[in-house]
Amino acid sequence: MKVTLTMKPVARSFIPIEAESLVPKNFLSGTDLSVWRGNRELGIDEIFSVTVEGEADRPEDVEIVILGDDTFRLKRVGEYMDGGKITIFGDIGMHCGNFMSSGTIEIHGNADGWLGREMAGGAILCRGNVANYCASGYRGGRKGMTGGTVEVFGRAGDFLAENISGGTVIVHGDAGDMAGAEMRDGTLIIHGDCYRPGANMKGGSCYVYGTAHAMLPTFKKIGTVRHEGRTLIHFTGDVANRGKGNLFVKDYRYLD
Amino acid sequence: MSELLIKNACVIDPLRRINAETMDIAIRDGKIVEDVSSAAEVIDAHGALTLPGGIDSHTHVCGTKVNFGRYMSPEDMRAGRTPRRGAMHATSGYSVPTTYGNSYRYSAMGYTTLLEGAMAPLEARHTHEEFVYTPLQDTMANTLFDGNWAVMEAIRDGDTKRVAAIIGWTLRAVKGFSVKLTNPGGTEAWQWGKNVSCIRDPVPYFEVTPAEIIRTTVEANELLGLPHSVHLHCNNLGMPGNYTCTLGSLGLIPDLNPRRQTLYATHVQFHAYGGSGWKDFCSKSEPIARFVNMRPQIVIDMGQVMFGRTTTMTADGPMEFNLYRLYREKWSNHDVELETGSGIIPIVYRRKNLVNSVMWAIGLELALLTKSPWQCLLTTDNPNGAPFVKYPEIIALLMSKKYRDAEFATVHPDTGSRVPLPAIERELDWYEIAVMTRAGQARALGLQDLGKGHLKPGAEADVAIYPIRIDEVDPSVDYQKVIEAFSQTEYTIKRGRVVSRRGECLVDGSNATFWVRPKVSDEYDMGRDPEFIENFDRYYTVRMRNYPVQEKYLNRNRCIETEAAI
Repeated sequence: MKVTLTMKPVARSFIPIEAESLVPKNFLSGTDLSVWRGNRELGIDEIFSVTVEGEADRPEDVEIVILGDDTFRLKRVGEYMDGGKITIFGDIGMHCGNFMSSGTIEIHGNADGWLGREMAGGAILCRGNVANYCASGYRGGRKGMTGGTVEVFGRAGDFLAENISGGTVIVHGDAGDMAGAEMRDGTLIIHGDCYRPGANMKGGSCYVYGTAHAMLPTFKKIGTVRHEGRTLIHFTGDVANRGKGNLFVKDYRYLD
Repeated sequence: MSELLIKNACVIDPLRRINAETMDIAIRDGKIVEDVSSAAEVIDAHGALTLPGGIDSHTHVCGTKVNFGRYMSPEDMRAGRTPRRGAMHATSGYSVPTTYGNSYRYSAMGYTTLLEGAMAPLEARHTHEEFVYTPLQDTMANTLFDGNWAVMEAIRDGDTKRVAAIIGWTLRAVKGFSVKLTNPGGTEAWQWGKNVSCIRDPVPYFEVTPAEIIRTTVEANELLGLPHSVHLHCNNLGMPGNYTCTLGSLGLIPDLNPRRQTLYATHVQFHAYGGSGWKDFCSKSEPIARFVNMRPQIVIDMGQVMFGRTTTMTADGPMEFNLYRLYREKWSNHDVELETGSGIIPIVYRRKNLVNSVMWAIGLELALLTKSPWQCLLTTDNPNGAPFVKYPEIIALLMSKKYRDAEFATVHPDTGSRVPLPAIERELDWYEIAVMTRAGQARALGLQDLGKGHLKPGAEADVAIYPIRIDEVDPSVDYQKVIEAFSQTEYTIKRGRVVSRRGECLVDGSNATFWVRPKVSDEYDMGRDPEFIENFDRYYTVRMRNYPVQEKYLNRNRCIETEAAI
């Protein structure tokens, strides 16, 4: 089953839309779903023109395609998703793929904050940039992503994979400040540069194929290793927090 | 004039020795009366269990450290959200809910009076402001004196009357209700990065011992004629082997007051641990309960631990630091100038954890081994042992051996060799539960003369009607029904108005705050004492005239004047 949701153009409205109902399994029982815009509950046909092709019995067979110019207004798309596919031809708002456990989300534009927060499985592919807190835990929460994969082809903002406790995050561009902060487990790979990676990490592995700026002094240098054709410098840490994590960097620079 | 008549109520009112009599309760203008006119509004209770409004004699619901618990735990705020509905505001939070959240959930369980367990005098305004937004319960605050510099100096000089005078002035200034000692001396030592190991360990600089602080404060409390006794959180909370220290502290207490206890020892579960370390950690509830059974001058409360997520918060700063070193999660620590300190840590109690399982058992043992229910009251030290919404489960555990056994089968397998709980057959009855949740509290806090905790004509019309018929339910078997009934009242009536109906709060409410004003002679008026004024202005960061909490911070003001013997 393929569900195509084309956002109807709205003049001058920047109010976010809480669209946690846009999950493949919800479309198994029809398109009678609602979303919230501000304090008003609206049927999805008021926001989108909806077309459905084919039929499906299980969420894995459902594909949702979201089109339109202001898809960046949609928040919480794919929350608690447990199978199927969502493809967004445009930008997406905050909290896309919250808590998802299975399935695939593909974003052809940029993603706003908290992409794949606390996700447990499945895959998210973002062809543009992601904002802050990608694949991280939420405020006060103790665990970020616990499984699955997030792959970003553009840049990532600050606090990338904060509190990550499993799974893999791959960023092909640069990352911002505090990448992999409070990391517990899992793997974080940054192909570009980043600032202060692995702050207070307890476990897991963080790879920086570019330069680690403002490198923290609380990491212990072990030596160099070969990793997938690259020579990386191996650190363990964060020594301030029992030092069981591994940080691999191509190059690093301490603060003066 | 508003009138209300509750018909066919199956009343248990321990302060009047009424045990399950079916009767009518007449209410006029917020008071219980003998009878009302035929125009009165009528509620038919259909024989349901009817008790005086519940009283929590030790809970942390308002004040700076509660609020800090809120903002350091946004994940807790996400855990218990309810939307705005009728007269109810939106609420959020589970272990440290918003003030309305506390008020509505307590009201749904039939509670109408709360004692905030620890208020730092310097931060009293905040506590009183939150009291105003806890609209469905009358409130009062324990005031902390455990590390008060002026008090400790007077103790060092051996001047009990001066201690009483300082306490009297401070209670009056901050609108406090009673004297709380939290880890006496230890919080002051914590300001030097230390702690006291037990009651004979001197406090740095002041060179007074916790034993002297406890003993002198207890005497000063009686000199002031306060309604409540000294409220003590013993030294060494949570340390293996601390029961000897607890027994030592309780042994200091003479019997000074014929009307009530002389010492209220709070959350004793946390102070009844044996062993020399976490490896041989075990329950010492038996010696504690035996000790309490022999001493009518002591009342304790359980401080029951229930499994699940909660937040620990106490004025006992060094103890929270020890917890932080165990858990390595977020921790907050505060220092309150010349008075006290505090610490906060979110925590999860787990069945799989042996220490947590033993703690769970100890609380129940204390309640079951203390012969008189008047001497062991039901609390969780909310939210330290568990959020107060777990009270119904605790009641069911105390009433049913079967439920205890079923729960015991799910805790850590080694617990059986560390605790006496499986061997205890006692099941509490409805009357004893009524004592442990309202009548005992009213007597211990000295509130029965103010019309709390009973339904005698003239009393405040605080009534809780629970949807259960005690002649039809056997609590030792149908414990699930007991939990359901105590979780949600059919009606909660506060000052003659139905404030909560089946969990739905119906009115915005208007609470009263009880505070004490001891009348002391001019000689002992600390507001005119040159030495006290000089030290105050030298060491505090606030001016003395800015320190007292103005009465406009109180919603409905219930001042209790006492005749002091100084």
